[in-house]
Formats: sequence, structure tokens, C-alpha cells
Amino acid sequence: MRAKRLTRTLTCFAVLSLTAAGCGLSGGGSDSGDATAGGCKVDKGNVGSGKLTGEVKGDITFQTTNLKKDFGDFFNGVIKDFETAHPGTKVKWIDDPGDATFGQRTVADAQACTLPDVLNVDSPTATSLTKAGYLLNVGVKDPDAAKPFVPAFWKSSLMKDPSGASVHTVLPWYTGGILLTYNTDLLKQAGIDPAKPPTTVFGLFADYEKVAKAAKGKFYATMANPVWRIPADWDQMNIKTLSADGKSAVFADDPRTVQWVEWMTRLYKEGAMPKDSLSSSNDPSTLYSQGKVAYGSTNPSFVRFVQQNSPSVYDKTAVGQQPFDALGHTTGAPQYIATAATSKNAPTALAFSEFLTNAENQTAWCKDPKVVIFPTTSASLDDPFFQKVTGDDPFAQARKLVAEQLKTATAYQTNISSAMQNAIVAQVQLAMQGKKSAADAVKDAQAKANEMLKQSS
Amino acid sequence: MAATHTTNPVSVPGAEAKVSAPGPAPSRARRLARAVLPGPAPGANGAAMYRRWWLPWLWTAPAIACAVIFGVFPFLNTMLLSFTNAKPLGGAYRFVGLDNYTRMLDDSDFWLATRNSILYALIVVPLMVLLPLLLAVLVEKNLPGIGFFRSAFYTPVLASSVVVGLSWQWLLADDGLVNTWLQKAHLIRSAIPFLSDSWLILLSAMGLTLWKGLGWYMVFYLAALGNVPKELHEAAAMDGAGAARRFWHITVPGVRQAMMLVGTLTGIGSLRVFTEIYMLGSATGGPGGADRTLPFYIRDVGLDPITGNAGYGSAVSVALFLLTLGLTLLAQRLTKEDEA
Repeated sequence: MRAKRLTRTLTCFAVLSLTAAGCGLSGGGSDSGDATAGGCKVDKGNVGSGKLTGEVKGDITFQTTNLKKDFGDFFNGVIKDFETAHPGTKVKWIDDPGDATFGQRTVADAQACTLPDVLNVDSPTATSLTKAGYLLNVGVKDPDAAKPFVPAFWKSSLMKDPSGASVHTVLPWYTGGILLTYNTDLLKQAGIDPAKPPTTVFGLFADYEKVAKAAKGKFYATMANPVWRIPADWDQMNIKTLSADGKSAVFADDPRTVQWVEWMTRLYKEGAMPKDSLSSSNDPSTLYSQGKVAYGSTNPSFVRFVQQNSPSVYDKTAVGQQPFDALGHTTGAPQYIATAATSKNAPTALAFSEFLTNAENQTAWCKDPKVVIFPTTSASLDDPFFQKVTGDDPFAQARKLVAEQLKTATAYQTNISSAMQNAIVAQVQLAMQGKKSAADAVKDAQAKANEMLKQSS
Repeated sequence: MAATHTTNPVSVPGAEAKVSAPGPAPSRARRLARAVLPGPAPGANGAAMYRRWWLPWLWTAPAIACAVIFGVFPFLNTMLLSFTNAKPLGGAYRFVGLDNYTRMLDDSDFWLATRNSILYALIVVPLMVLLPLLLAVLVEKNLPGIGFFRSAFYTPVLASSVVVGLSWQWLLADDGLVNTWLQKAHLIRSAIPFLSDSWLILLSAMGLTLWKGLGWYMVFYLAALGNVPKELHEAAAMDGAGAARRFWHITVPGVRQAMMLVGTLTGIGSLRVFTEIYMLGSATGGPGGADRTLPFYIRDVGLDPITGNAGYGSAVSVALFLLTLGLTLLAQRLTKEDEA
């Protein structure tokens, strides 16, 4: 009897579990008429149209990734200033290590309706959270939210919500900037004038080829893994990776994509890149610091890395403008600050998001000597720190080169998922190994990208 | 004591009367009260007086709850998801029947990942069963300084997989230690492409798994070797059996159960390998994604927050589960046949 009873109980439990699983999956709103965001019950004011109203009061959580160690004092100061300006508020700062599982953990938090009230996200994470409806529509909830930001950066924060509509769910924060970094000594050995950086991507590839011919395996031009260049190079060449509505991949339609893959294949074959870097996750940092690679990372912070780790190579390091190519300027992929639609104190969370990203705080952080980053607010970029750069060291030059184009930039980096990037990169790798023609690789890459877009729609 | 308790019920008034006086069957409520309320059970002796049918369940409830929450529920949820087009971030979904499973049949990337996983298991399992046993036999005897070797063999177990992966990258790079030594010894003219050839990446990853697991299973075998009677070895040695003969005819049968357990655990682990491939073949899983294993493929198709399909990823997970189950059952069957 007892065994039967137990069996019945367990069966009921299993059925309930299955039902619960189904409930957990359904998300997207309930029949009760309560406001929901991403399947979580939220305050009605957090969703739909209309400005967010309510008192700025109460406790919120603020999550960053790996910033406490170097910038603890700065952020504690910002938090204290906010709490002083808004009595009755308390900000709890959580600094996540920001490892490889960060994205997945954030997704798990979102599914559990426990996203931090304010969080630092990159473009892919912001896109996915917006698509599932977990973020506050800041463009609607504060119609003045756009005002402080450079138009291109504000435009970059436009993402698709669950209904497919374009909404602003994040505030631009800081950007790393893009520029060429190179070892002048190695460039001279290859017969390249460091003072005249190329203006097109293919021009840069031609310089890589010169390096390969001159070096004969003693040093290299750059790293082989295409993951560092897709879609950044294509953006620069104004090759459209995705269609305007983002629903299909179109890069194969542009003949320059095949030419780009052919260049990469030739460079790999000619020894412009270390053979073992084809599918390596190592960026050029280590080999550049050893004087084995002529071109370094395109991130100004990289210069600081070289200065700290290899002073002798730093002495030979110079920076130049990244080839503008057909686009006419570089593209940025800033970091963003998002406000969770699931916040219990959304007015406070939004107020803190705006406080953190305002011109004053952005400028103050970008001036921190421990970091080489750039602000996304117009007023910050007008600051003499960026406009009246003196000195000819690589840092000063980097600041000058990046800041002068940020204000006029009109486009931003194409946002594709990591899985799609890997799928495209994998096909290019096969072409570089000579296992596929460039044309076939591009065609297959597009087919795989479209398959992914289809399954996610 | 027992008699005292039987005649003096502690907490169920009237229990004595019910025990001693036969009469009409107790009501349902009374039966329930008798089963649930604390106090001596009627008609029982000793410790059994206080035993209730639900007590074992009470003590095991935390463990059962953990198993259900972290094991049974996710498993059932994965099964359910595999028949849907659910997305990693939730939202609306619909049932798609067997679509995910039929898609799998035509998916060349899935079959490539399956081949890699099976190959991984087929190569790693026999080596992982045998090599740690040989190591254990080597370090079993208490010789001066043997502790150093035991520790040295065990050290890789303690190291983080990521650190070990990075170390192996340095070892296997074109200008790494292995290629440099081989070139200096004039054994090769150009570098062996350990990190750019898809087959060599897969084999290198297997080597990494073996290197990291040897110490762990060596300790396992050391414990098992302690149960092999020394007299058998002494008798065989007196009869003229050499070391190899004694190993095959005494040591191996003596640790057969441990070998089967190691084989099963290693088989499951091999089919789930991810970190080694990721460390040596990066996020694409080797050039062209040619080294992706099933867990790697599940990550790619099912977990990406933007383009992932949790339904299809779950279907591949179910396939991985069935593959693991199949290999485990096969191993058990082979063991039984062997024993028979």
C-alpha cells in the first residue's frame, strides 16, 4: 500500500515537474493581465508606453565586470555621490569576474527574474536581453535620455524588442576606440613607412604581404585567426554583414568578401601570420611584446600593455589611424549600461544609470591614468583632455586619433552573435587552409549564418 | 525496557487498549494517526516500536529533493524542450514534434561532432583504464622517495584545466618546447602543426585528458591493488611466473571491478569533453570547427542567447545522453559476459 502510495506521489510530482517546466518555458506574459517583462511579473510602469514616474528611493543592485580591482575607489565615489544626491537610496555594487561564462550566467539571472537593477553589458548581451524583453525601454521611459550622447553611439543602442520593434534599451557608456598599433622597427625592415599607414583594408593586407616577404618566418605581420577581423574589417569596407532588418546574412552578395577571404588565404600561405594561430584564441599581445609580430591589437589599451610588459618594444611602438576605407571612419562597439525591466525600484535604477553615464562621470573615469578609454557623451569629448592633446608619446597620439573621429562617427559595429561569428570564421579558416575555395567558403558561411538566423526567428 | 514501553504508552493515549483488545478495525483516521504520530508503534518491540514507515523517507528527503531539483527535473525539462523550438532566453515556444530529431539526422555538423565524441571515447577509455594501472603498479611499493613520484603523477589532477590548457598550448606551439626539441634533435625539419591540424588538435586534446586524469585514477588503482592478496603474487613467483605474467593473471583480475568502474567513468567523461578542445582549438573548435564534440556542438546550437535554439540543443543533449547510456550498458554487458 505504502509503496503504491509513494509511487502515486512520485508520479504526481513528476507530472507537476513537467507542468512546471512547461510554465517556465512559456514566458512572454500571462492571462492575468499583470505586466510582464521576459516572463517576469513587473511593475506596470516598467513596460509599455509612457514616461517612468515614481520616487527615486530604495535599494538597487549595480553589476559591473571586473572593475573593482582597478577602479574600486572611483566607482565607490560615484555611488556615494548618487546616494548623497538622492537621500533614501542605496546602491549595492556587485563586480562579476567577467569570465567566459558571464553571458550565460546573465541569461540565467534573467530567466530567474533576478537580473541586477543596473548592469554593464556588451552589445551581444544587450541584444539578447532586449530580444527577450528583460530590459527597460529607456528611450520611452525617459524621452530625454538621448540628449547627452554622441548621435552614432545613441543609434548603436537601438535593438530589437520581442515584437521586432527597434527600441533603446541601453545607455552608451565607454568605448575602447580603434587604431593601428605597430612596431616601427619591423615595418622599416619590410620597407614600409610607419608615418604613412594605409587607408584601406586591402592596403593594410598589402603591407602584411611586404612584412611576410621581408621577414621570411623570423617575424610575422599579424595573427591568423579571422575571429579578430570579422565583422570589423567588413564593416570598415562597408560590406553589409546582415540585411537592414537583421533577418538574413548578405555578406556573400558583395564580391569584396570573396576578395577579402582570398587575401587572408594568400597571407596565411605566404607566412604573414603564424600557422598555429589559425584557430588560436591568443590575440597579438604576447607575440607583439616579444617583437615577433609587426602589428598589434587595434585597441589603445594595448599600448599600455606593451609599455608595462615590454618596454623595449614599447620604445619602437607607434600608432596610426585605422584604415577608414569605404566607411570613412572607424566603427565603435561601446560598452552599455542597461536597466532591468524587472527592477523593483526602476525609477532609482534608471536615475543611477543616467547618473553613471552622464558627461561628468564619463569624463572623470576616462581621465583615470590606469585606463585608455573614450567617453560616449558629446560634452566629454569636448573636454580639453581629448581636444588639446599635447605630447608625442603613443598614448597622447592614440587619444588624439580616436577622440577626433568619435564625435563625427555615423555608424557602429555590426552586432552578430558569437555562434554566428564562429560559424563564419570556421568557413574562412577552411579556405585559409586550402580545403575550400574562397567563393565556396563565403557561400557556405552565409548559408550557415542564415540557418542560425532562421532558427532564432 | 521494551516491556515497560509497551505497557506505558508515552504519547498515544489509548494505544495499549487497541493492541490488547481485538475488535472492529480501527477507523481510517485512527490508522493515519497511528502511522503518523510519534510514539511507540503498537505490537512492536525494541527500537521497532518507534519506527514509522515514513522515517526513512524523512531522513533521505534532502537527498531526494536535491536529486529531483538538480537531476530529475532538468533531465525531464531537457526531454520536454527537445520537442519544442524554445529559445535560450525563454519567451513563447511551440511544440514541433520530432522536427528537431529529424533535423539531426540530416545535420552533417552533428554527425561530425558525434564521430569526434565517439573517437575520443574509443581512444581515451582503453588508455585511461590501462595506463593509470601501470603507474599504480610502479609506485605501489614503498621504496625510498616513492612519495615524490606519487605526488608528481598526481599534480596535474590539482591544476586548473585552463592553466593546463595554456601550458599545453605553449608546449605544442610551432615554436613551442616539443617542436623545438624535435627540431634540435634533427627528428623533424619543420614544425608539426599540433595546433592547426584538426586531427592533431583532437589527438593533443586526448593527450591532455589522459595526462590530467592519470594521477586521479592511479590513486584509485592504488586503493584497489591493496585488496589483491600478496600471497598470490608470492605463490606465482615461486612457480616461476614473471612480472608480466603475474600482472595479467593476478593483478588485472584482482582489480577488474575497479577497471570497469574507471572505464565507465572515463567513458562518460570522454563523451562530455569540452575544455580541452576549447583550449587547444579555441571557440570555433579547431579550424573549420572540425574538432567539435557533442557538448561543444550543444553550446553552439543551443546556448547562444541571440541565435541559439534551446529546443534543438536539447535534442542533441538527449542524443548525447542516449549515446552515453548505450556505451555504459554495452560496457556492463561485456563485463557480465566476461565474468560468465
